[in-house]
Parts: sequence; C-alpha cells; structure tokens
Amino acid sequence: MSGSKSCARLQGVLLQQLLDSVDSILFDCDGVIWRGDQVIPGAPQVINLLKQHGKRVFFLTNNSTKTRRMYADKMSTLGFDVTEQEVFGTAYGCAVFLQTACGLQGQKVFLMGSQAMRQELETVGIQQTGVGPDHVSGGPGDWANVPLDPEVKAVVVGFDQDFSYMKLNRALQYLIQKDCLFVGTNRDTRLPLEGGRAVPTGCLLQAVETAAQRQAQTVGKPSPFMFDCLASQFGVERERCLMVGDRLDTDILLGSNCGLKTLLTLTGVSTLEDVAGHEESGCAERRRMVPDFYVESIADLLPA
Amino acid sequence: MAGAFSFKGCQKIRGPQIRSLLEAKDFFLFDCDGVIWHGENAITGAAKVVNALVRHGKNVVFVTNNSTRPRENYVHKFSRLGFADVMLEQIFSSSYCSALYLRDVVKICGQVFVIGCEGLRRELQEAGIPCLEETDDPDATIYDCALAADVKAVLVGHDDKLTFLKLAKASCYLKDPDCLFLATDNDPWHPLSSGRILPGCGSLMAALEVASGRKATVIGKPSRFMFECISSQFKGLEPAQCLMVGDRLETDMLFGFNCGLDTMLTLTGVSQMEDAQEYRNSDLSTNHSLVPDYVVDTIADFLPAFEELEEESN
Repeated sequence: MSGSKSCARLQGVLLQQLLDSVDSILFDCDGVIWRGDQVIPGAPQVINLLKQHGKRVFFLTNNSTKTRRMYADKMSTLGFDVTEQEVFGTAYGCAVFLQTACGLQGQKVFLMGSQAMRQELETVGIQQTGVGPDHVSGGPGDWANVPLDPEVKAVVVGFDQDFSYMKLNRALQYLIQKDCLFVGTNRDTRLPLEGGRAVPTGCLLQAVETAAQRQAQTVGKPSPFMFDCLASQFGVERERCLMVGDRLDTDILLGSNCGLKTLLTLTGVSTLEDVAGHEESGCAERRRMVPDFYVESIADLLPA
Repeated sequence: MAGAFSFKGCQKIRGPQIRSLLEAKDFFLFDCDGVIWHGENAITGAAKVVNALVRHGKNVVFVTNNSTRPRENYVHKFSRLGFADVMLEQIFSSSYCSALYLRDVVKICGQVFVIGCEGLRRELQEAGIPCLEETDDPDATIYDCALAADVKAVLVGHDDKLTFLKLAKASCYLKDPDCLFLATDNDPWHPLSSGRILPGCGSLMAALEVASGRKATVIGKPSRFMFECISSQFKGLEPAQCLMVGDRLETDMLFGFNCGLDTMLTLTGVSQMEDAQEYRNSDLSTNHSLVPDYVVDTIADFLPAFEELEEESN
C-alpha cells in the first residue's frame, strides 16, 4: 500500500465488488460486532449471511479474558453462528506462541493474567504459576528474595485484575534472569468502551517492561502472529482476505502489514478525523493505518 | 561541567585533588543509598567524612529519592549509624519535596489521590495537604467503587500495596485535565543492600503515563525541584559553591548537571566506571549530561585530605 490512499465509503457497487474479491473476512470484536455485552444491531445477521454466501468468517481480538470456547459461547448466545476454531483471542494466541515460537510445551511460565489464559496454556500443555491475587507479607528484603520456581521459563503478561506490586516484583525477579522469556498479549492502552474504568493491558505491560528494563514480545494486533496462525490453520490467501476493525493502530495496521484489504467501522474507537490525520501525515508508518474503506456500522454490509 | 581541571570529566581523583575540591566548595549534597549507607550499614568512613565536613564549616545536606520514610526516620538512622547531629533541616527526600511542591508551588485546594507508602502520606499530612483516605473494602472493584469529586492531584510514589484498583482510580482521576499528575521520582528499580533490586516508582509512573496519555511532573532527581527546595531554605546558595555526590548516573549525576552543580560519582553503589565511560563515549550528546566530573571509589577517600588539612592547622 504505497502512494496516496483515500478511504472510500463502502456502499453500492463498491461493496459488491469488494465482497466478490474476498473469500475470508476477519472481524475484530469489541466495537465491531458488539460493545461489551450489547450486540451491534445487524451484526449477527451480517456474519450469518456472509457464511451462507460461502465466505469464511473469523474473529481476531486482542482481548485476553476469554478462551476461544468462551467467545464461541458468548457469540452463540448473541445469535452468531460461530465455532470456537474460528475465534482467535490473545489468550489462545499467547498459548500457541509459547508452544510453537518459544518451544515451551511441557514447561512452565509465570503468569500475570486471567483464568482464561491459564486454561488456554493448559490446553497446549504449559503449566503456570502466579495467576490470582498475590498478597504482601514481609518486607523489602523478603520480596527481593521471593523463592523463584526454577521451572519457570517465561513471564507472560495479559489483562490481570489482580495486578499488584507483589506480582510486579515477582515478574521482575524472574526477568532479571537473562534466559527467561518475556511475552505479552497486547499493547492496547485504551479500553474498548468509553468511560471504561479498568487499566488496559498495555499499561500493566509497561509497568513490567519499565521495572525490568526489557521489552516483551507481543502476540496481539498489530503483530501478525495471530493472523499467521489463522492463515496456516485455514490456508487463507492474503489477497482475498478482508480485515474489519474499529481501531486504526491495531486492526487496520495489522491488515496493512499482512497485505489484507482493510475496512474501518465507526461503531468503536477510531474516527474519520483520525483517518484524515494519518492520511495527511508525511509518515509512512501512519499511512499504513489508513483503511481502504469505511462503513458507519457493519450492518451496512447487509443487502439494502 | 566545569571542574577545577580542564579535562572531559569522569576523572578518578585522590589525595591532593580531593583536597582542592574540599577547599573550593562550601556546600555538599549527598545521596544516601549507596553513598552514605547500604541498608542498615554505613559505608566505612562515611560518618567520619560527614562529621569532618561539618567541623570544617561546610554545609552538608542529604538528597534522596526514597519516598518511603518520613524524614524523622532518617534523623534517627543517622544517629544510630554514628553521624553526629544530623538535623531534620538537612534532609531532603522526594516525599518531603512533593509536599512542599503541593503546598507552595501548586498551593493545592482540594484533595490528593496518593499511590504511596505511609511515609509519603505522613509528609503530606505534616504539610497540611489533604490526602484521600484509603477506605475501600477488600472486595471493591473499579466498576462499583466511588470516586471522590474534588481530587486535584494524583501523586505516585513507591507503593508496595499497589493494586489494580488504585491504578484504575488514578487513571480515572487523571482524565480531568485540571487534575495534576505528580511522581516522587522516575527510578525504574531500586537496589537493596543485598544487590537485589525491587520495582521502583518509575514503573508505576510509566503505567499511568501510558494509561492517561499524560507526562508526570517528577519531583525527585534528576528534576531540579529538590535543589530549588534546598535553595529556598539556604538563602544565597549558588550552584558554583556545590558538589553533588551520588552513585547513580541517571538520577544523581543528571540532577547535578540540570542544576549546574559539579558532580562526583562514588563507586559504592549502582553505577560503575564502565557505565560512566559509556555515556562519555556516546554519540548522543544528551548522554554527556550523565557523565560525572569526578569519580571516587568511596567517599572515605575524602579522609586523607582532611588529615592533611588538620595536620597543617596544627
């Protein structure tokens, strides 16, 4: 995607041409098919209709709080016809990354993350220590000398509501060991919903990276890892693939980096002003965040 | 980066050179951890050095980023470790200076949300700064807890009781652009006397900077503010009269540079000679600000210079 690029509204003939030119469509979840537990009106109909027309549909989300099975269950409840193999969340993505890219099958990690992450790890034969609350006891001398499990080969950071100084400390003590790997689910620093009150994963990861003075490898968008997983599992052709998302710096950037067509929906985080800003900047990296097309909502993909 | 000699800094000095420096300077600023003591153990000779400086009519102050203890604790510690008569007024901690900043610079009207230890809260309370009470019940979550209405500043310090909830609350308060964002210091980690390290305030500050999209105002070294506190208290103080002695290039030496002070690295703490040389040889000119003017193995190296001075006056 070089040269100037303007982001066209997808409708009419353009919409039909686009749909004819792709076999697989990847949807982000938050801000695209739902907002929290509220479905975007028309979203289930879109997904189901695409499948009826012979398109393959996948879901690619940076959210690490659910297993693929939990996502499939939520989707079924909300009226989407989906199987768990079609869902790629970062809990699953992280487990696969540790198993394949890091070769940790049968080994152990220190986990700052959710029960869902724990389950996905166990499914690929990776044990964990650390999930859940970690209460303060003793003093600074004790903390620096916390007993370290010699089997731990990596520190893994995802969304963790039990994040605390003690956990941060334990992660630091493991990461001081040079051969300890460091993996994060994603770098999102904004929450999916406006007015949200939680602390995004990217911020928790920043705390650990700053203390340890080391960078984690991350599996979530815009890293291509989960797309590469999906592509190798399902034999997807990049040129005939569309990425649909609401965030320019994760979804659209991933699409550009992987050579996919990209569609921005305006039911989530990014706005057309954001698009214009990237388009007008002189910066190549920012131009990769300009989508090919936009819609007000994915319901616009339904036939009129 | 003047120094008494025309070389590029990072010069290890002994004996006569130290003596010239002692004669030239009136005001000595010492970091504590790694310079004066390691945990509960004074650096050998440190008490003698400080006592001798005072006996020779020099001013001595202690400048520390450690925000976990109230200054009274330091007074007792100095006394315990054999330092004669170190007074409260000689101790400048990042927590004390945070309180001064809120009281005298910001003149805060409203509450402060504090992420920090009891020591930090005590300094704020003694300065009359209203801190939000920690009243959460253990099962409170960010989705159902109350947020106070008149929070005018978030102050981040070292907090071994940090929770997800505290970070989430701080992020919420920081959404208000009129709510100030302060940090006691930006050290990513702190060394313990054993050589092990613990996460520092800098790591919590980084998390909140990323969450809020805002930069914190850092009170402690290497920011200039603690020197401004010292200058307010010691009227007429000129940077040229001062020597900053520390063990950490990124905090102490940069602090000295930022305030226009001559700097001395002592090798009893965090930074090593190789680290200083790497900054000196760096292509990035901003790294040159971290290079000390002088280097000693330990501040006990001052002692032979005092012995000479004392012999001469006999």
